[in-house]
Amino acid sequence: MTAVSIRNANKIFNKGKANQVDALRDVSLDVEHGEFVSLIGPSGCGKSTLLRLIANLLEPTNGEVVVNDKPAAQARLDQDYGMAFQQAGLFEWRTVRKNIELPLELKGWDKPDRAVRANEMLELVQLREFGDHYPWQLSGGMQQRIAIARALAAHPPLLLMDEPFGALDEMTREYMQGELLRICAATGTTVVFVTHSIPEAVYLSNRVVVMSPRPGRITKTVDVPLGGERNEDTRNRTAFFEAITAVREGLRGMHAAHVGLGDDDR
Amino acid sequence: MFLAALVLVVVIWETYKALGPADGGKLLGVRILPRTSEYAMPHVWDMFSRFNRPEVRGSDRTVFDAVLAGAWYSFRLSATGFVMGGVVGVGLAVLMARFRLVQRGVLPYLVVSQTVPLIALAPLVVSWGGKLEVGPFVWPRWLSASLLGAFLSFFPIAVGTLRGLAAAPASSVELLQSYAASWTKTLFKLRFPTAVPYMVPAFRLGASSAVIGVVVAEISTGLRGGIGRLIIEYAREATGDPAKVYTAIFGAALLGLTMAGVVVAVDVFVMRNRPKESVS
Amino acid sequence: MKETRRWLGNTLPTIVFGALFLGLWEWVVRFFGLKPYFLTAPSAIWGQFTTNFSLIRGAATVSGTNALIGLLAGTVLGVAMSFVLSRFRFLNQLITPLAVALNAVPIFVLVAVLNNMYSITSEIPRRIMVALVVYFIVLVNVARGLTEVSPTHVELMRSYAASDVAILRKVRIPNAVPFLFVALKIAAPAAVITAFVSEYFGGSQNGLGSRISSNIANAKNAAAWAYVLAACLLGLLFYLFSAVMESLNRKGEAK
Repeated sequence: MTAVSIRNANKIFNKGKANQVDALRDVSLDVEHGEFVSLIGPSGCGKSTLLRLIANLLEPTNGEVVVNDKPAAQARLDQDYGMAFQQAGLFEWRTVRKNIELPLELKGWDKPDRAVRANEMLELVQLREFGDHYPWQLSGGMQQRIAIARALAAHPPLLLMDEPFGALDEMTREYMQGELLRICAATGTTVVFVTHSIPEAVYLSNRVVVMSPRPGRITKTVDVPLGGERNEDTRNRTAFFEAITAVREGLRGMHAAHVGLGDDDR
Repeated sequence: MFLAALVLVVVIWETYKALGPADGGKLLGVRILPRTSEYAMPHVWDMFSRFNRPEVRGSDRTVFDAVLAGAWYSFRLSATGFVMGGVVGVGLAVLMARFRLVQRGVLPYLVVSQTVPLIALAPLVVSWGGKLEVGPFVWPRWLSASLLGAFLSFFPIAVGTLRGLAAAPASSVELLQSYAASWTKTLFKLRFPTAVPYMVPAFRLGASSAVIGVVVAEISTGLRGGIGRLIIEYAREATGDPAKVYTAIFGAALLGLTMAGVVVAVDVFVMRNRPKESVS
Repeated sequence: MKETRRWLGNTLPTIVFGALFLGLWEWVVRFFGLKPYFLTAPSAIWGQFTTNFSLIRGAATVSGTNALIGLLAGTVLGVAMSFVLSRFRFLNQLITPLAVALNAVPIFVLVAVLNNMYSITSEIPRRIMVALVVYFIVLVNVARGLTEVSPTHVELMRSYAASDVAILRKVRIPNAVPFLFVALKIAAPAAVITAFVSEYFGGSQNGLGSRISSNIANAKNAAAWAYVLAACLLGLLFYLFSAVMESLNRKGEAK
């Protein structure tokens, strides 16, 4: 009874043609309910592709993707997950409130229910006064919070995030990480989080999954024994640095392997 | 600023009139300078005063009334044509957005046709008036004028709307896919709102094209009631009454500006909540 | 090989649609026995086109010459005036809104008064009309090109203590050149259309526009369509010419 279960998934783009790409090879991953798992790896390692397999925005060439004990396609139709991207992607012609209501409209909720839930989400991300503003009136960090509010509006059990803080400056980023943990603790959501940043992955996750460059494989999984309660002090703990080192070694190991001597096929 | 520009034009007009040769003249050997006699170039204030006097000797109607009535008639024709062209244009754009094959087949012709003088078809379309019968329905002549306006406005509207529909960012499309939204839902919740900033200049161009189509249709056949016919009529009477034709020209200008004004008003309303950046 | 396949994939639907359209047109006329005054079959049009070719070419030359002269005159004057506008900013503020407003107005109706200013057989009113239309298009675009330069470039030149003329030559003019070609791509078809429409206002009856009207008046619709075809080809020719000029200009740029 896992939140996400991937078995031996492959993803090949343009199969059989000259520009064939082996994005993912033989990937298996289990994510438990309530877990926070990060996917990290160099550019082109397929982490975004893997996320999209879970989201059923792409189909695996082989293998199985099970979300919430259903095939990924069914999970998408049942709206069992919310998604957030690097660009907040709010609709500039809708107010903040209406942006949050978007998934609810598509699910056929009626107006009063939508309004109640939207207010709830605005409270959750602490932007209650901005409900009637337009996205372009908000800062980047605030827009991302609204994007998260939108992703969680229908209270999905699973949250998928593709480098959502990548476009923010460092300080806003750290603040947002704290906010994300607070929100997920409040809602008990399972999270699969794609990032480039090692400290970010370690700070947020229970587990960090390291992926290799193309063809993407999972090369290492690092458990982060920092416990559930994380705050500013967490960044100073020894366990934090140890986990970062472990992840870095995992990344460097494969990097050395493919840049080292006798490397013919790169 | 705008008024200052108009004043500048008036000043240039009157200066040339005062200084230029009465019978036209040569510039660098080419007979290019216009005549400045009263017939050819009336004073600006004569043009305005002409508005107040009767249209035809002995008639009750002032020129002002006549010109206004003509402009209003043409305005209604243009508006009808514009609406028709808009509906077909947007419909075709949606069709092209939905079916790549249709887009690939039809779009190049749409783009090319904007460089081609489609207006050449005007006399042909207008000649259908009065001669064509479909059952009990006799093709009224004014419909040809509107149809020409519709035809001219439909091209820029279709092209511009398609550009807008295709401009939705990939991540937003993915977002709606993640909501398992149908193509139609995605059209109304994402593609159309994204298209609006692109549709604005397209509709403006469409509006002025509709006016051009209607006026040309009126002129090429002398359609009764419109401003085009008035211009031709007054131009013929110019030897006896030089200022009158200018009144009709002002009427045509008013027609164009009013159509543009309506479209701009709608634009402003529709874009009122959007950030102030433009799309080109 | 892959390239040609992709190119075919892109252009084949276009060709097929065009052929289907013509075929359908021909079939509809024949099947419903449509009278020429409503719709003429493409085959009949083509027949008239080839039969009357020399006449058509003559008329096209007249209209085309008007368009060309107007285009050249309007471009030269427009470019010249745009320099003035870029030098005196307040003039820019004055004239640009006027030009924008004129876009909405069917200014070709001015031919009616232009005709009165010249003799009845003169082609000059039409050329002036074309020149006027082209002038505003070129003026607005080139003025933008001269004024909307990157502030960084201007700052750089000022740091070299460059004179205004030097800035003009080295920054503004190169910046404005693509704008000129964009303007031409709009102005060239507009020139043909204006030359055309001007002929409906009376005056000399040698151009394409007048021929179309007179053919229709004489119930020779197929011939009229042939002249329409000629007009479209003329417009296309002008557009292609300006597009070629633009691409030649771009070849020199780094891409």
